[in-house]
Amino acid sequence: MLTEFGKIFVFILLAVAFVGIAIFAAKLIRPHRPTQEKLTTYECGENPEGTPWVQFNIRFYVVALIFLIFDVEVVLLFPWALTYQDYGLYGFLAGIIFLVVLGIGMAYEWQKGDLEWARPKPNIPYLSNLIKKNTDQTSENIIVEQTETNQTT
Amino acid sequence: MDLTSLNNSLRLITPEIILSIFLVIVVVVDLILKSNKKVIPYLAVLGFAVTGIVVISSLDSSGFAFITASTSSKQFGMFAHDPLGGFFKLLILSVSIFIVLFTITSSEIKQIHLRSGEFYALMYGMVLGMMVLVSAVDLILIYVALELLSLSSYVLAGFTKLRDRNSEAALKYMIYGVVSSGLMLFGISIVYGLTGTTNLYLINSLLQGPQINILTLLFAVLLIMAGVGFKISAVPFHFWTPDVYEGAPITITAYLSVASKAAGFALLIRVIQIGFVSFVGSDGFWNLIPVFDWKALLVLLSVLTMTLGNLSALWQNNLKRMLAYSSIAHAGYLILALATLSTQGVVAVLIYFIFYALMNLGAFYIVMIIADRTGSEDIDDYDGLGYTSSFLGVSLIILLVSLVGLPPTAGFIGKLYLFIAVLDAEMYVVAVIAVLNTVVSLYYYLRVLKHMYLTKASDSTQSVRASGGEKIILLLLVVPTLLFGIYFQPIVDFTKSCITVLGV
Repeated sequence: MLTEFGKIFVFILLAVAFVGIAIFAAKLIRPHRPTQEKLTTYECGENPEGTPWVQFNIRFYVVALIFLIFDVEVVLLFPWALTYQDYGLYGFLAGIIFLVVLGIGMAYEWQKGDLEWARPKPNIPYLSNLIKKNTDQTSENIIVEQTETNQTT
Repeated sequence: MDLTSLNNSLRLITPEIILSIFLVIVVVVDLILKSNKKVIPYLAVLGFAVTGIVVISSLDSSGFAFITASTSSKQFGMFAHDPLGGFFKLLILSVSIFIVLFTITSSEIKQIHLRSGEFYALMYGMVLGMMVLVSAVDLILIYVALELLSLSSYVLAGFTKLRDRNSEAALKYMIYGVVSSGLMLFGISIVYGLTGTTNLYLINSLLQGPQINILTLLFAVLLIMAGVGFKISAVPFHFWTPDVYEGAPITITAYLSVASKAAGFALLIRVIQIGFVSFVGSDGFWNLIPVFDWKALLVLLSVLTMTLGNLSALWQNNLKRMLAYSSIAHAGYLILALATLSTQGVVAVLIYFIFYALMNLGAFYIVMIIADRTGSEDIDDYDGLGYTSSFLGVSLIILLVSLVGLPPTAGFIGKLYLFIAVLDAEMYVVAVIAVLNTVVSLYYYLRVLKHMYLTKASDSTQSVRASGGEKIILLLLVVPTLLFGIYFQPIVDFTKSCITVLGV
């Protein structure tokens, strides 16, 4: 007789087996005709430029965080919207306070300039060029070079 | 949950609500004021003071907020409003007020005055976390409060970004903290798996039943102890303490060494007394449920903690680092008082905490004043300082003597009550170890005094003058340290009225 955890173990085995079998079956059946276009990295429909090994702008992270906060906010507001009328003014105020606090958070981001998206001229660093440049120059210049790259990307 | 019970719950958490409102006000004021942010620290003090007054006014009332669990006869909430929580809230709030006063005069914080709004907002986050933590009786709420406290303190530890050590401190603090809180969460999940509830009161009644797997519970409790031990920096969870205390801004170091330690002890007292005690005897000793030997664990931790803390402090040349090890040693004494598992033990912990807060804050403040002027925390740079700046010298003598625990200072009274509680519990061997430890600590505290008074001032010694404001703040800490060493009855009476834990 299986215990509760035993059942979970069977599930894990099944899941692994399912994936393995599916990939193997696909490999047997599918045609195999690679072209240059197919093998390039998909980049939002644009032609990929440069190496993906670059530093990301920290703003992507901030925007993702703001998005996440408001995303979660909506999830929390749905149940509130369904029931607040049962609680009269009190229930209404509860939701409003929540929204106001979130709004202050948004105002904070705005005021601190995290929504400003200054766009300097893109300087796309190619890994091979960077290595070549760096080996040519003295170490002092490398630091200057790197900080410039950081500022512009 | 119906509306009236929600209303009652909100009334019980009024201090926390006021604190949250002030947190929002601090953030908004920070947004409105562009460059001149001098008003924010005073606003922060005002917020802590108002919250403190509300806590005092509701000190003798008690009740559960957010009822989530019930047995046939009683209802239990996630949040217990009771005198023990009130005591720790008051302690945390008064320490916070002192820390904000410290930051007003600190040159480290002056250099980042443009970001000071965030600094105080994060401090409010820490205080909110601690205040919920000392009242939480549900493992989930405990974990959430602990995370709120930890996340804010990780950022604060590296907030000034003036030196490399600063970032090192924050990173080390975060890595150790994340691991230990992960372990704690794992322990909580095991307890939930064993008992099917996260409420400490229900866990207590289920542990008294026959069908608990003792070995699994032992494992779970040890994991939870990893989280608590990290907060109170008990050996073997202390590795972060010296590096973080040395690297963080001194104001935050002082804060971590007193306030977040107090919150950790409140949590430990609550978990043991609510979760694992079947009844309190008429002589004040707690009868443990025979599933886990807390006494053995606490005695072991305490002996390790105080011995390692004191022996490592002997070798330190940086005064901040020495005080870090000394705070580990003091955590050891406090765990020892708790290990008596008696009401007297808890009274001793509370008394010791009041005095420990006074003397530790004072010592860190003097280190801060001197480091602001001379840029050094090395004991060698204190040569002859007692003659060039006598006010600071005398204050430091009083505070260090109090940290050793010699009369006529408050530290002596704290140690006196602590040892009485330990001897009452007939723990003679550990009592002797603790006394020997105190003797060891005498050496490294007095070594500072030797440098200040018995060594001639070298050419590099700078004269340090404390400003008027700094002198007043320091006197607020030093005078009570002396006064409570002589007249301590009100403190003892106050703590005795504050040891009631709801529903025990």
